[in-house]
Amino acid sequence: MTSFQSSLGEDEGIAEELAESQREISIAEFFEKNKHMLGFDSGARGLVTAVKEAVDNALDATEEAGILPDIYVEITEVGDYYRVVIEDNGPGITKEQLPKVFGKLLYGSRFHKREQNRGQQGIGISAAVLYSQLTSGQPARITSRPKGQSDAQYFELIIDTDTNEPEISVDETTSWDRPHGTRIELEMEANMRARSQLHDYVKHTAVVNPHARIELREPGLEEPWKFERATDELPAETEEIRPHPHGVELGALIKMLEATESYSVSGFLQEEFTRVGKKTADNVIDEFRDRHYGRELAWSPPRAHDDRDVAAAVADAVANKGEAATTAFSEGIAGTVANNDRLSRSELAEIVDGVAETVADDTGKTFGGTVRENAVDAAWRAITGIGEDGDGAAGDGEDAENGDATESPLVPDVYALVDDATSTRKDDAAVRAMAEALARRFESLDGDAFRITRDDLERLVADAASFVAEQHDATFGETARENVVESLWSRARTVPDDPPKVRDVAGDRDSAADLLEAMRGTDILAPPTDCLAPITAELVEAGLRKEYDADFYAAATRDAEVHGGDPFIVEAGIAYGGEIPAEGSVELLRFANRVPLVYQRGACATTDVIRTIGWRNYGLDQPGGSGMPNGPAVISIHVASTNVPFTSESKDAIANVPAIEDEIELAVREAARELKSYLNKRRSMQQRREKQDVLGRILPEMADKVSEVTGRPRPDIDGALARIMNNVSLEREVDDGTVRLVVENHSDVNERLEITDIVSTEPTDVSDGTVVDMDGEWFVQWKPEVASGDERELTYSVDGEADFEVSVGGVETEKLTVNA
Amino acid sequence: MTTESDARDELIDLAADFYDQFAAGRIPEMELPTRTKSNIEYDEESGVWTYGDRTSVRSANSVNGARKLLKAAFTIEFLADQLDEDRSSTLRELYYLSESWDNDEAQFNSQDESNDLVEDLEIVTGVTREDFHMRPEESGAKVMGPLRLREQTNRGDREIHCQLDVGQGGYQIPNNPDTIEFLDNDAEFVLCVETGGMRDRLVENGFDEAHDALIVHLGGQPARATRRLTKRFRDELDLPVVVFTDGDPWSYRIYGSVAYGSIKSAHLSKYLATPEARFIGIQPADIVEYDLPSDPLADSDVNALESELEDPRFQTDYWEEQIELQLDIGKKSEQQSLASRGLDFVTDTYLPERLDEMGVI
Repeated sequence: MTSFQSSLGEDEGIAEELAESQREISIAEFFEKNKHMLGFDSGARGLVTAVKEAVDNALDATEEAGILPDIYVEITEVGDYYRVVIEDNGPGITKEQLPKVFGKLLYGSRFHKREQNRGQQGIGISAAVLYSQLTSGQPARITSRPKGQSDAQYFELIIDTDTNEPEISVDETTSWDRPHGTRIELEMEANMRARSQLHDYVKHTAVVNPHARIELREPGLEEPWKFERATDELPAETEEIRPHPHGVELGALIKMLEATESYSVSGFLQEEFTRVGKKTADNVIDEFRDRHYGRELAWSPPRAHDDRDVAAAVADAVANKGEAATTAFSEGIAGTVANNDRLSRSELAEIVDGVAETVADDTGKTFGGTVRENAVDAAWRAITGIGEDGDGAAGDGEDAENGDATESPLVPDVYALVDDATSTRKDDAAVRAMAEALARRFESLDGDAFRITRDDLERLVADAASFVAEQHDATFGETARENVVESLWSRARTVPDDPPKVRDVAGDRDSAADLLEAMRGTDILAPPTDCLAPITAELVEAGLRKEYDADFYAAATRDAEVHGGDPFIVEAGIAYGGEIPAEGSVELLRFANRVPLVYQRGACATTDVIRTIGWRNYGLDQPGGSGMPNGPAVISIHVASTNVPFTSESKDAIANVPAIEDEIELAVREAARELKSYLNKRRSMQQRREKQDVLGRILPEMADKVSEVTGRPRPDIDGALARIMNNVSLEREVDDGTVRLVVENHSDVNERLEITDIVSTEPTDVSDGTVVDMDGEWFVQWKPEVASGDERELTYSVDGEADFEVSVGGVETEKLTVNA
Repeated sequence: MTTESDARDELIDLAADFYDQFAAGRIPEMELPTRTKSNIEYDEESGVWTYGDRTSVRSANSVNGARKLLKAAFTIEFLADQLDEDRSSTLRELYYLSESWDNDEAQFNSQDESNDLVEDLEIVTGVTREDFHMRPEESGAKVMGPLRLREQTNRGDREIHCQLDVGQGGYQIPNNPDTIEFLDNDAEFVLCVETGGMRDRLVENGFDEAHDALIVHLGGQPARATRRLTKRFRDELDLPVVVFTDGDPWSYRIYGSVAYGSIKSAHLSKYLATPEARFIGIQPADIVEYDLPSDPLADSDVNALESELEDPRFQTDYWEEQIELQLDIGKKSEQQSLASRGLDFVTDTYLPERLDEMGVI
């Protein structure tokens, strides 16, 4: 998160100047300087990036129009250059829209939209256009046929690199066999060295967009490479949401403040942000007041033994109201004041107002504004002791500290708080010195209400601490200072002043920064998630099924979570076995908002997460127990968000955000658990088959041998064999504290089992069994009936490590295979 | 004891058991006592430790179990043929011989496997491996002392006096000591000695002559033949038996297997163990009393001592006291550390004093 210091706005003149000079760099120069960030740092990569940006755009355009995408990609060699053609069956594009979509760097409606979209920043396709123009000198050639029109329109577009303005140089009618759609043709300096990345991108796009039909032709392919559709279901339409208060940054906030129709900050918050109602807005505004105005320090009223008297002070300040009313007024104020432990000047003013109304009702005497103000001043002097007769004006700064001025009347209150906030080991003299130093500093605050912001309070406490350290050789470390600040701040009161109006906040960077901090400092409900369109576990699996001929597939979609102000959803899929090559590490497919990520695999959060998971536990080989697992598997991870955090503008790698990493891990583990149970089942099938093979060979040999030794004819062993072959198996799986006992009945009759598991720690969440505690060992017992050919799962949870010992009754032992 | 034809019949009976189980449509199995420390019990009547009631089943239900029983069937055939032909072989020969069997699954993977199987067969049939004509690789140890005996060898019977007819090495105990007949003797007691060096010292100093002792060399964990012969000295010649070893936990186990029987061959305890055998030293108390040169106990020694405290065979007042004393002083000493008092100390002082204390002489 960016943090803003109040000093930022002060030198605006210089910033303006800098911005001015920046604008003088041509767009071509800007591109040249930043092309590595944009994904165009080499000819090989430029080609892949251009295809990627154009295909992403085409998919978004078709989906937004509710059309099943049909995308054609063609790469041909043209002399020293490569020509890239991308066609879609989208809604086409009008002449007016054209420059906006293809022409201007950093333009794009998505830039301000909070919605899950492939592009997100609108930098991509225009960068491709610019790249082609800069390397080949050729314009972008665009053909568009909006739905229902009989002709298509052909445009040639170039970008004026001095002004960053697109120009349409050719505009003519043409014919096109697609009923509707857009075709873009770019010529560029490039090479095919990144062919495998190109293929990966297209193949992975097909995996993650099972509703799209994609065709690729390039010089290295003898046949066009076609990816057919696996579903006719379009991804769910995404809702655009208003921004979440935790997800905006200062610049955006100021823009919103400038553009809003609301007059008050409260209205602005409720109108422009998601998840903000009246109550939340009030909370934000309280926070905003604290930051903008500061809080008022509160002081305890004089006690009986003090020589300060609130009632007398108020009575003195009131004139011409008659004795009865004056007494009622002054006693009323003094009484209410005495009921408070501490109070601030604003609270005192409220009390005075309240008492004035009551007394006016009772006596018919009106206490007007001036009288009330005088009364507040007098009472406040009596409470704080500041400005009282004979007390002398508060000495300022250095003189008072170095001299022998009388003690400030604030000291006892401050002392109590400081003493309370510091450890008992602090020397009392140091605590007193600190209290005195603080009291002197509070006295010299502007006005008599003791208003101070938290930042200023921190500075003030630090200053007092360093003074005490210097003069009294007693240290107040960082923790002690924080405690003192917290103690003072928590007893200070939020002021009742109205917050500044929206236009004032918009015009003042400091106020806007205060508001932003207030928004971030308030607890606010997480944003809604209907702005996201996950692929869904079902289709993640369908996508893998379509492109990978495997033995097993699994997928998982997590519930939406929030990072900053942006909701996100993670999905994971795994394909295993079959035609997937068994040598080397597994293949990792990475997707962000349905866009495959092909470069910078090593820098990606998804890769980091896969490396930290212990894959041996899930049945995959992992040399050394960490790092990329090996084996015939493909793992795909999809992160969908209104704002996927990337490591750079080229959007190749997802940044290491802990909240997102956690969800990636959970999604992958969810899918991996299914893989594990598949592999376990496969292994136990294999073991059973092996056992049957071996026993089917050994037992007849043994029968032969014993008949030889005993001299009797060969015995009939079919009965014995049949018993062994039709068996009942019990397998244990322990995963993250969850214990699963799986009973499989392979015999041809129903089995009534009696299973007892002796556990060394207390089991919880036991699936319909009974638990008996026997001296620190728990006997968990089930009596399941398992039908022929059926299986049953018995589960419970244990906390941490546990030992198990299982025994099985109710079935003949020779029929039983226990692997638990 | 069983005769050769009895032994053969027992083996064939076991094979017939398997046959009958097959014929009844059951999966063949063989029940054995569980061979662990927790399943040995003190037999009041014989005073030795034998297997308790817990049993384990070797069943052909699992791949490993089936392989074991197949091997058992092949081994039964081999042993029966060997007895028929009145020949014998060593355990190691059995292991190599299995290579010639026409079934790969029946071949042994290691010598431990074939040794264990022979022990299983001993237990199930109640026949000792000597009666199967199976010999261990190592020969039994040696005896020196005033005893005349007759041994049946396959070159005819030989009469031997274990002092007069033998060299400095003594009389070599045959693999099957039941082929020995005791003739006459002047022996007063039997002294079993752990190490070869100490045995040689006793013989060189003429201890056997001076005290009419039968000195039996154990040579580490004693072979079955050595233990069997020691038992026969006790039972047939009515001689007291004392065991002289190093003063460390491993040596106490040597004494334990002489006196109480070993866990592995607890099925033969009644035939091999000499419960009357007593421990002469080196006792932990001796380390203190004679101020013997010692080494500190290693962690493994401490663990072994603690495990002995839990071993039912060592749960007597005497052993608990000695073991706890040793844990307390944290020291162990070898037999030969007695040489620190001179070469004759052991024969002139230590042993006579100890034997006197124990009431043997």
